[in-house]
Amino acid sequence: MDKKYGVYICTGCGIGDALDIDGLCATVKKARKTAKTHPFLCGHEGVAMLKKDISEEGVNTLVIAACSRRVNFDIFRFDGCIVDRVNLREQVVWSHPKGDKSLDVNHTQMLANDYLKMGMIKVEKIQLPEPYKLESFTRKILVIGGGITGISAALDAAKIGYDVTIVEKEAKLGGYAAKLRKQLPVASPYTNLIPPVISDKIRELESFSNITVKTGTTVARIAGQPGDFTVTLKKPGESLEFDVPFPLPPEMKVDENGKDLDKDKLNELYKEFNKGKNDILSFDPNGEKFGAVVLAAGWRPYVPAEGELTHLGYGAIADVITNHQFEEIAAKGKIVRPSDGREAQSVVFIQSPGQGDDKDFAYTGAITSMVALKQAKYVRDDFPDGKAYIFYQHMKTPGLQELFYKSLQQDPGIFLTKGEVVSVSKNGSGLVVEADNTLLGEKIQVKADLVVLGTGMVPATVDDPVVNLAYRQGPGFRDNAIFNGYADSNFICFPYETQRTGVYAAGCIRRGLTMEESMEDAAGAALKAIQCVESTNRGVAVHPRSGDMSFPDFFFQRCTQCKRCTEECPFGALDDDEKGTPKPNPTRCRRCGTCMGACPERIIGFADYNIDSIGSMVKAIEVPSEDDFDEPPMRILGLVCENDAYPAIDIAGLNRLQFSADVRLIPIRCLGSVNVIWIKEALSKGMDGVFVLGCKHGDDYQCHFVKGSELASIRMKKIGEALASLALEVERVAQFEIAIDEFDKVPTIINDFVKLVTDMGPNPLKGF
Amino acid sequence: MSDAYLVEPDMGFIKEVAALGGGDLKKCYQCATCSVVCPISPDNKPFPRKEMIAASWGLKDKLVGNADIWLCHNCGDCSTRCPRGAKPGDVLSAIRAYAISEYAIPKALGKAVNDPKKLPFLMAVPAAIFLLIILVAPFLTPILAHIVPILFHAVHEGEEIVHSSFIPSGFVDMVMVPTAIWAVTIFVLGLKRFIADIHANALLEGKTDQKTIVPAEFVKALLRVIPTILKHDKFNECTDNRERSTAHMMVLFGFIGLFIVTSIFFVVMYIFSIPGPYSQLNPVKWLANFSGVALVIGSSLMIKNRLAKKDSVSAYKDWALLGLALGLGVTGLLTEMTRLGGIAWLTYLLYYIHLILIFCLFAYLPFSKLAHLVYRTVAMTYAEYACRK
Repeated sequence: MDKKYGVYICTGCGIGDALDIDGLCATVKKARKTAKTHPFLCGHEGVAMLKKDISEEGVNTLVIAACSRRVNFDIFRFDGCIVDRVNLREQVVWSHPKGDKSLDVNHTQMLANDYLKMGMIKVEKIQLPEPYKLESFTRKILVIGGGITGISAALDAAKIGYDVTIVEKEAKLGGYAAKLRKQLPVASPYTNLIPPVISDKIRELESFSNITVKTGTTVARIAGQPGDFTVTLKKPGESLEFDVPFPLPPEMKVDENGKDLDKDKLNELYKEFNKGKNDILSFDPNGEKFGAVVLAAGWRPYVPAEGELTHLGYGAIADVITNHQFEEIAAKGKIVRPSDGREAQSVVFIQSPGQGDDKDFAYTGAITSMVALKQAKYVRDDFPDGKAYIFYQHMKTPGLQELFYKSLQQDPGIFLTKGEVVSVSKNGSGLVVEADNTLLGEKIQVKADLVVLGTGMVPATVDDPVVNLAYRQGPGFRDNAIFNGYADSNFICFPYETQRTGVYAAGCIRRGLTMEESMEDAAGAALKAIQCVESTNRGVAVHPRSGDMSFPDFFFQRCTQCKRCTEECPFGALDDDEKGTPKPNPTRCRRCGTCMGACPERIIGFADYNIDSIGSMVKAIEVPSEDDFDEPPMRILGLVCENDAYPAIDIAGLNRLQFSADVRLIPIRCLGSVNVIWIKEALSKGMDGVFVLGCKHGDDYQCHFVKGSELASIRMKKIGEALASLALEVERVAQFEIAIDEFDKVPTIINDFVKLVTDMGPNPLKGF
Repeated sequence: MSDAYLVEPDMGFIKEVAALGGGDLKKCYQCATCSVVCPISPDNKPFPRKEMIAASWGLKDKLVGNADIWLCHNCGDCSTRCPRGAKPGDVLSAIRAYAISEYAIPKALGKAVNDPKKLPFLMAVPAAIFLLIILVAPFLTPILAHIVPILFHAVHEGEEIVHSSFIPSGFVDMVMVPTAIWAVTIFVLGLKRFIADIHANALLEGKTDQKTIVPAEFVKALLRVIPTILKHDKFNECTDNRERSTAHMMVLFGFIGLFIVTSIFFVVMYIFSIPGPYSQLNPVKWLANFSGVALVIGSSLMIKNRLAKKDSVSAYKDWALLGLALGLGVTGLLTEMTRLGGIAWLTYLLYYIHLILIFCLFAYLPFSKLAHLVYRTVAMTYAEYACRK
């Protein structure tokens, strides 16, 4: 594309009052580009001017120096044009004092000048992205699991017109939902138990010709990428050559002295480890094609380990059972005791293992509170004088299920109290439950015929990868441990999105859910799967950069096969061959740029975001030296994550919070995409400090790309060592965390770092 | 293990409390808003949060002998602010009604007093007694008049209407004095158990430092409490239903006034042998009329308040007591007015009804809601004695 540049400076919103616009125009002229100003660029007249230039002058590369890229993005979007936004409003005039135009040194003006230059060089370095199109593409959706969630997801997708295949490992559809006596309400008035809805759902399923059901089937492997998955199915327990290979466990990757083995040795071990299985890069010619996967593989009942709950009598006393065992008894008929078959008229439900901890049993969530209420109702339904006690630490009744709790509370035979159960012991043929710190104000004892423990629902992903992805990073989800084994990528944000693009989790594999919630979840995951196939078909990113047309491009001639990109990609988008050359799978990619940040050879980049574009922006920053100033002002580079940090800074500007004008900020896709070369370049050209500002990392991460800010922190540590070798203080490079709502911290973070760098003095490399 | 309290819920108790006006008790989810907003609840082991869970668990023994249920004045602040509509004020009121029938023997009578279906029978007893007196009086009075002339007048001479010539005072007192003694006896028997129970409960729940009850100190505490009761100090701490305090005060003082009047006339008649009716100029008569009016206005106001309050429960026990108070006042005043107005048949009829109501007041006092007069006074005295804060 032949670029024809146009630079447009808006003088509205206080920009014209605070800055020397003529000075800025001169800067543009120096860069051999034409500048135009307008008092109200986003208004009709302003936009008309831009459109006229595009259509009549042939301008196709625009630098718009006005407000933040986060506002008016729709107004300044022109098809077929490269547009960059220079943030003169929020991050210059609103967050810095109005400079004195008559003074020689005008820090605000210098800031605006640098930003303008950075914007102009950026558009020179970037290209319009073109969508990635798959060679073969299918919209079919695979649903793993034929329980209430899987069936609901299949129905939801089928109703919109998508072809769906359900695979269910058992011989019959229905899952746990089909094994209950009764279930919790799913509709108003939410006050009574209802017969399980699953049978209606299965009947509904039969009326859809675009749903295929495969019972007694599991997934052997899912190879390829969203829009073009090749799936091998098998019978449970069967062994196939297309069973998914597993990566070597870490202890096998080192020799007896703990040293890393070389590549050839690793390959050899890997082949031996996965003997009889084809490598991930070989595709099953008989495999079935799918575009996206809904993972609704559900859960299994938690079984307490031997000795785990002895204080509650589990294991030792036959009449201490789990809620799952209780449900089995209830489904058969009247509630009777396992020990002697006598009616259990007095049943105690325990929701927390106690022992000084108020945590509920593992893998519970809100669901076990609801189950205890439901099962208490069984006792009351079976026996007019039946008594059901619930000892809880938390009574969790999600959504309108609270109405069920309220209605159950009215039953004179149901007794609820918060409290810690201390022990369960035998008392003749019955049991005695002792609890402390109850709402009744003291240690109490209750006589029981039967004790039921509110144990949890273990997601299928704890025992097995289930999805069996033929990915180099392994067949399951990485870092599931921080989600207690649930298939999730953040408990609050990004529901349904797993750590693998194109695989959407719903139901109890994602967290303990009621049937009502599972059906809602199924709709969410089905819509996500549809979003995935449709975005893939248009060649754009699915999420969180929905609609992004760019994708990472590799300059393979210079690849050293170090595998860092393959290993560091948070989404397992890259596979590599035997030699270690990465094989990109663009539709798995979320466009965070972590591979670009990881690559030591700097061969990975996006059309509109690459090593050169950001590096050139860094180089465009003017670093004042002693030639021009007696005391040259500091120059500090801030690489700012555009998901949370950049908006936080905008909001700070919106609130007119002021921060140092010595800082130059560059928005980046994710801290994971920060390549250390940019930091080295900044320091070697004499900038006095560099900070990266992004999301919180660790177990409670807020990173939109799961691992980005964590990887950045590792890289920052490593760069510290390199700085020390250059006799630069390691403190000149720092990483800070911020959340979008913490805009009030922006001035402190920036000013404190500027002060720290100022106190260290100027970069000794300045001027060389 | 030994210090743990063995919980044995009594579902029958839950149902009875519900029937007595505590129907919302199971809505409680133990947020303790009630205990926080209650202006008169003590800081140590405040009520009514703990009473609410004890009630919903059917723990009768923790409630019936618990003095705290009597410290509550049912002002309704808790019920207004309860986020679940559990109406703790009404629940405590229902528990008190239950406690009254637990302490008053025979229990069957207590049950009957709280059962609207039994009302006709309860009313029929005095109606029959006084009807019998009316029937036999003309035959027996002349004979008895020879023995105790002051109590058994022969039919009066002249125009003036004299109720004692319709039902001679002697017959009335022959009924009322034993009835009053019966009431006092039942109270004494009930209180013996009641005081022992509330003390045991306070010791168990750590609400007092007093190990035993020293009678002299207890009486001193009673003397300290009486002004509080008369001034309605506790009642006045409430915010939501403060107007009820005035109405309640009128009823209480009305009853006290009438009690004083009755006592004076009793003395006048039996010791000074001056038969009624007495002159309207007599200051005791002023007190009588004033008290009667206070009773009518006070009970009418309370009825009005209850009818207007949609967020609190008014059970049979409440209506029965208010009806009785209003009935007593109205029939008393009307009896007097019709007497002065000279409508003989009407005044005798009203007097007959009035006597029936007085009988009900005395005979059923230990079983009815009015027993709170005794239990609350004792409980407040105990709280004072036990330094409950």
